[in-house]
Amino acid sequence: MNKQFLGLGAFLLAVFVLVPVLIAASGRWDLYYTLTSVALLAIGSAGVWLTFYIGRINIGQGAYALMGGYVSAVLMTQVGVSFWLTLPAAGLFCAMISVLIGLPILRLRGVYFAMITLVLTEVTRLSALALSVTNGAKGITSIPLPGALKIFGITIIPDFATMANPKLAFYLLAVTLMVLSYAALWRIVNSRLGHLCRSLQQNEELAASIGVNTAYLRVLAYAISSFFGGLSGAVFVAISQSIYPSSFAVTDSVNFMLYCFVGGLGFVAGPMLGTFLLYFGWDLLSVASEYQLLIYSSAMIALMLVLPNGVLSLFDKKGGQK
Amino acid sequence: MEQILANGLYLGAQYALIALGLTLIFSLMNVLNFAHGQMYVFGGFVTYTIVAQWGMPFIVGLIASAVMLAVMGALIEVFLFRPVIRKSKRDESTMLLAAGIAFFLDAVILLLFGEKQRGVPKIVNGVFNWDMRLIMPYDRILIGVLAIAIIAGFIALMQYSKTGRAMRALAQDRVAAQLMGVDVDRYSMIGFALGAMLAGLVGGLLVTITGVNLGMGGPTSVKAFMMIMIGGAGVISGAIAGGFILGMMESIGLTVLAVYGDITYLAIFASLMVFLAFRPQGLMGKPWG
Amino acid sequence: MLRRTLLKTTALAAVASFAMLGTAFAENPVLKIGFVGVTSGPAAAWGTSNQRSMETRAAWINETGGYDIAGTKYDVQIISFDDQKDPKRAIAGMEQMAQEGIHYVVGPNVDDGAAAVRPVAEQNAIMYFPYAFPKELYTAPASNAVLGMVANYQSGPAIYKYLMDNNGVKKVAFVAANESDPLSQRDSGSAAAKALGLEVVSDSVTYQVDTTDFTPVLLPVIQAAPDLLVLSGVSPANAPQLIRSARELGFAGLISTETAQDAAVLQEGAGELANGFISVGGASTPELASDMMKEFVDRYTKMFGEYNDESNTKVYALEYILATIAANPAALDNVDEFKATMDTFEAPNPYMVGDAKLKYVGMTSFGQKRQVSVPLVVNTFKDGKFETLFVAQVD
Repeated sequence: MNKQFLGLGAFLLAVFVLVPVLIAASGRWDLYYTLTSVALLAIGSAGVWLTFYIGRINIGQGAYALMGGYVSAVLMTQVGVSFWLTLPAAGLFCAMISVLIGLPILRLRGVYFAMITLVLTEVTRLSALALSVTNGAKGITSIPLPGALKIFGITIIPDFATMANPKLAFYLLAVTLMVLSYAALWRIVNSRLGHLCRSLQQNEELAASIGVNTAYLRVLAYAISSFFGGLSGAVFVAISQSIYPSSFAVTDSVNFMLYCFVGGLGFVAGPMLGTFLLYFGWDLLSVASEYQLLIYSSAMIALMLVLPNGVLSLFDKKGGQK
Repeated sequence: MEQILANGLYLGAQYALIALGLTLIFSLMNVLNFAHGQMYVFGGFVTYTIVAQWGMPFIVGLIASAVMLAVMGALIEVFLFRPVIRKSKRDESTMLLAAGIAFFLDAVILLLFGEKQRGVPKIVNGVFNWDMRLIMPYDRILIGVLAIAIIAGFIALMQYSKTGRAMRALAQDRVAAQLMGVDVDRYSMIGFALGAMLAGLVGGLLVTITGVNLGMGGPTSVKAFMMIMIGGAGVISGAIAGGFILGMMESIGLTVLAVYGDITYLAIFASLMVFLAFRPQGLMGKPWG
Repeated sequence: MLRRTLLKTTALAAVASFAMLGTAFAENPVLKIGFVGVTSGPAAAWGTSNQRSMETRAAWINETGGYDIAGTKYDVQIISFDDQKDPKRAIAGMEQMAQEGIHYVVGPNVDDGAAAVRPVAEQNAIMYFPYAFPKELYTAPASNAVLGMVANYQSGPAIYKYLMDNNGVKKVAFVAANESDPLSQRDSGSAAAKALGLEVVSDSVTYQVDTTDFTPVLLPVIQAAPDLLVLSGVSPANAPQLIRSARELGFAGLISTETAQDAAVLQEGAGELANGFISVGGASTPELASDMMKEFVDRYTKMFGEYNDESNTKVYALEYILATIAANPAALDNVDEFKATMDTFEAPNPYMVGDAKLKYVGMTSFGQKRQVSVPLVVNTFKDGKFETLFVAQVD
């Protein structure tokens, strides 16, 4: 247990202190955006991972990221709500929608669920194009930067527009959200709820027969998952200050799923590591110009051949053959 | 009305052929082949290179596409899927591999064939025109007929040959088939090769009508997924039904809903989700594929 | 195809060795220009023609001793980033350009990317030249984006007017892919047509970009019997199929688009059915191309194995950046100087015969000079080649 806390402490120290210090020292300011992206995508992947945990392959997280983004954008530009309020609103809206969608489709399993979530991403994009509240094809642009967050008149977070370095602020925001999300995820997995979810992953009928309310559990897990998706989408909108129906597409949904696989489905930190490796790896490979995709995909295939259970299975001493 | 039905039939024939290969691979190995669309594109480019660049007859290009993709499929099964399936703890892990292969093929296609849209000259000229009620170019009719012939040939192969029977046995119950002396490794390889070959054939056929470009792979896979969902994953007849149903839905939807703006696909996708909510295993699928 | 790859590799090797020679002997200072756009996936053709135009021109400049800015010869280096048509990646690309100390970037190629990079570009003093049409990118308070081509709301009316006067077009129909860029272009095109007094008989039909058969898509449009069918924002991949389907359904009217197309692609995909197809192009038709344009096409073809006609409109952005900096060397690392120069800048257009000028325009559309002035060359396709229909200017 002590070792775990030590590891956690080292991780927190690294992301909150070491990274900013190193970036300041090396002058690589562009890394902030890359790491911010990694953190935000990792939040979305955490949600996908949770659906994997109940035995569902979720290729629809892009849909919720897009929804979350639009909720935040619409609330900010049309209602004038502060960005900080739109964050939980985006997450809750996605969770609500996911309950409605999840009730029927969570009855599906295996590839059926996987494929219907893939279609869901496209449905969301087409809805965003067709609706008027989303401004259709023209998207929503010129969204203001996050304003100041005040509680009882005390400024907790200053206005992003007045900051000298909004990049750092966005990074800290994204990383904080990521740490909170993973803490929540860890808490869920190691609670009674987590054990019940695991029973769903192994044998749903058996779980149901011994009195586990499987339908309720599935929808709950899916709603939490979608909450994470909406959250990550909302912050992305704040960074790009714009959103279009194509801001999150089928590719993103597939990527969210791949991040989970690469990191390892058996580990809470898996999606975070997977996101980091794949996203950062792609960026590093940009030096290979036209061979970038070739090398990236070869590496992915090789990784699969060597470590089919994810990178973190390297540290899994108990793991044997299936 | 005749025109809508004819369009739907033609679309359905090509869709069904695409879905067949995907569902075959799925039924044998429980692998959702994300790279199916890329294989289709690859087949198209092979035919294009042989027909348009080297000036050989169309049929040579088509056969070359089929052979090339069959070999590629066999190699992918033996060297990539087989070891991963053996080592991984969860079946889904093959999805990452399939996606990796899809990216890989995308990269190879970009490097080998370039980024431009390609097409081969029309193989038959002229348009069939029945009193303006039904208009269908002859090359489209030819491709449609060829597609249906290939589907029929494939069904015959599955029904009556030893290979076909072995593969059906494998699809029904892998363990039982193994116990009955079916060489699982061998027929998995043949099945994957056959599935990839079908993708190559469609690519070769369609390059004469729609042409081919490197971006078609991913969306084609997604479309094929939808078809096998409608029909039921892993069921040959389901894939064919799914293909024709989607073709008809597009043809009718695009005509009827055109006045309402861009909602045809939204309507198709949404009705698909509703349909699956009521019938999770598709039209003909076994529950939980 | 193998031949093409081989050619490409040799060409790249040659360029690489030239570059090395250049650094070893000439020791010119290097001027870096960025490109952020899509060079992989479905829309790869758009960005690739951009990137290759820039690389061709840069190699050419470097080979002939560099670009003269205030008496110093600069070697031009192109730093490219593939955003995969993903706005989130485009931001990363722009950040990377900022990190490299680059102040002038060509791209992104689509609306969502161009909107997403705006905050980064403004924070890091980067001028960028998107190929996207939303007006808010170019109107105040935005000031760092410069439209790199003629927008469809500028070219569309010119084309419709010409066809009304010369071909007696009265009824027009619009078809677009159900994506942001084409839909926005359809809406503005339709509005422009109505303003000209044309009857819009159909503007609600859309298609998925991955459509493999356009006959069902076009059926209701053709039944509305337009004189002119406009393919709004059509990608070069879809254009030949749409033309073919329309013609095979018996459509005898005119077909046009406001985007740039490639003749080889049209020829392969639609053959003689594409004859008469009207599109917007650059100045590479024989009547208009200067010797410099011809040499550019030559060099491009040598370097990459095959020319892409879309590059006719994409050769300009880099030229504008370099020429503007040459006109005011202080703009090398100060974009405010660049912006100030834009208002008065004028230079001869080297790619076109006659006395065409390079200058910044856009007062009418954007209220400030935030658009490069490229000749609005409207082409028709005939037997595998483009012929100039008419030439107009945008102000």
